[in-house]
Amino acid sequence: MSLSKGSNKTLFSWLKHPQHFLFFKIFVWFWLTVIGTITALVFLSNIATNQVSCENLHGPMLKNLQYTAKGIERMALKHNKSITEILTHPRRAKRKLLYLNSDQPDHSLSSRVPSSEIDLSLLNFTKNMSPQIIFTEYYQAFGPIKINLPEGQFYLYEIDENHQPPFFIRLKLMPIWLKVIIALLASLTLSFIFSRNLIAPINHLKQAAIKLSDGDLTARAEIDPNRQDELAVLGRDFNSMATQLEQLISAQKRLLADISHELRSPLTRLKMATGLAQMQTPEENQTYLLRIEKEANQLDKMIADVLQVSRLEAKSQALSLHQQSLQIIIDHVLNDAQFEAKQTHKQLLVNGNLNIDIHCDESLIASALENVLRNAIKYSEKNITITLSLSDAIYIEICDDGPGVEPQNLTKLCEPFFRQSDARDRTSGGTGLGLAIAKNAIAAHAGSLTLHNKQPSGLCVRIALPLDKQQ
Amino acid sequence: MKLLMIDDDTGLCELLSEYLTAQGFQIECAHNGEQGLKQALEQEYALILLDVMLPKLDGFEVLKQLRQKKLTPVIMLTAKGEDFDRIFGLELGADDYIPKPFNHRELLARVKAIARRIEHITSLANTSSNKLTVNNIVINLAAREAYVDEHPLSLTGTEYEVLALLVKHAGEVVSKEQISEEVLGRRLASFDRSIDMHVSNIRKKIAEFNNAERIKTMRGTGYVFIQGE
Repeated sequence: MSLSKGSNKTLFSWLKHPQHFLFFKIFVWFWLTVIGTITALVFLSNIATNQVSCENLHGPMLKNLQYTAKGIERMALKHNKSITEILTHPRRAKRKLLYLNSDQPDHSLSSRVPSSEIDLSLLNFTKNMSPQIIFTEYYQAFGPIKINLPEGQFYLYEIDENHQPPFFIRLKLMPIWLKVIIALLASLTLSFIFSRNLIAPINHLKQAAIKLSDGDLTARAEIDPNRQDELAVLGRDFNSMATQLEQLISAQKRLLADISHELRSPLTRLKMATGLAQMQTPEENQTYLLRIEKEANQLDKMIADVLQVSRLEAKSQALSLHQQSLQIIIDHVLNDAQFEAKQTHKQLLVNGNLNIDIHCDESLIASALENVLRNAIKYSEKNITITLSLSDAIYIEICDDGPGVEPQNLTKLCEPFFRQSDARDRTSGGTGLGLAIAKNAIAAHAGSLTLHNKQPSGLCVRIALPLDKQQ
Repeated sequence: MKLLMIDDDTGLCELLSEYLTAQGFQIECAHNGEQGLKQALEQEYALILLDVMLPKLDGFEVLKQLRQKKLTPVIMLTAKGEDFDRIFGLELGADDYIPKPFNHRELLARVKAIARRIEHITSLANTSSNKLTVNNIVINLAAREAYVDEHPLSLTGTEYEVLALLVKHAGEVVSKEQISEEVLGRRLASFDRSIDMHVSNIRKKIAEFNNAERIKTMRGTGYVFIQGE
């Protein structure tokens, strides 16, 4: 029962709120477009190549015209007036233009000389028709009424020179190119509104998805709250998914930070107790205590790194900004790195210099450089190249000649605890947080850190720091 | 020599008292800010170890209230890496800081540096009054006091030491490394701003009475106390 009820609901619910369904929207809009197109086509095919259109005349206008015709006949027969006299009679001439068309074009007459725009010969083809209203581009004519006069047979037309033809007639009388343009524009506008209406939420969704995948967890799709169709529902579902994602990730990060913070107190006590034990133990039995101390220090370093990464990621690190020469910071870091490299028989090669003052948190910049350099020294074979350059921004490139990184791992390298080998070997030391710290520290200065492999082998880390912000 | 430790971590307090007692110090503990402040004000301690995160009254508040009455040397125990904490602490008049979790040897070295300083004073106090005068600043080495135009400056122990060192070497550049080693008893860590903070505190205190620039920063090297006008 419930199943059929459910399917009933989905089958017929669109009848209640058709505007909630994309199907209906597509249907209606498509329909409108087709109707519009067809109407335009009918218009186009309706255009006679001439500039005239007519309709049957009836009602008071017809009677009026017949009365005029009789009047002229009576005047000609009873008062024996010539046709010219009748037509040019001042009383008539003041009124509408009258036109008497004869089978011989030379005998055709009019009550006044019409203005040059009025082409009376257009009326010739209507002579054998019943009385009509005849629309042309510049005037409107009523007629013909046959009149038999002593001079011969005439067709009477009354001509309204100043009359603008009604809208539809005007449309009909429009030149063909204008009609085509109007039809094109109309269907274009219609289709444009249609497709934009359809595509806009999809575009919003797309942009939000791109931002979200770039790590901006606050990105949401803009959805009109009054919209109820499938796309709006999809957009709202996407937004709630993003909210969920944001909460989960921030909860995970906070957990990591909280745990690390809580680990500190017992670690401090552990170190203290080790110190006490060292004092009471004879020199020769110190090996294990030294080992405990070393491990405690390693743990301490990891906790500090985790906390620094999470603070940087959460942007809660208070930057202590100072104006400082970049070269001084670099030299300082290079001195330590030089020492480290010498111990492992590797060489640091430095190209260029950066004698420029920047406004930065020097300890953060130094720790970024230190971490990148330490990484490079660890994985290099023999040489580490550091290239310093200054153009539109400050560039620091640090390359090693080690094995490099598999291309699919390049972007993951800056994630906390990511290691290239799945074995997670600890022989190389380090906490797996160095590059994450570096990337976040550079990002905190509005700079960027990118990785790429170098030919023939080796990894390059390119740090770019903006200039404009510094000055 | 009597020390006070204000920290809510009782386990750490026990271990630390055991360690420092073994090194010949006498140590008392307080486990919350309120009690710690009370003890610090009532009794005379050679040094106070003050944690930042404390129940009832946090470390900064304790320090602020203590400094209104006393200049007992204070070492702040801060969580490592939190830059803001230590700078704020130094601004409030802490003498130094040790990031937690600390190494017991490092802690001992700091405590000893301050102890040495105190011994040094007592030995000076016994000799005849020893005064240094440069421009309008007078340093009374015996009484550990400094005056600007005869106004006494209320300097913390570390600030006094830094100023005295600069005045002793008036006209010469004194490097930050030298200041750190002589005054704080430790090597200057890279990008450590604590000496700058102490100097900035001294400048502020001098400026209360005299606006003339006395201590000049030599960028990248250190500080000079200006001799002559």
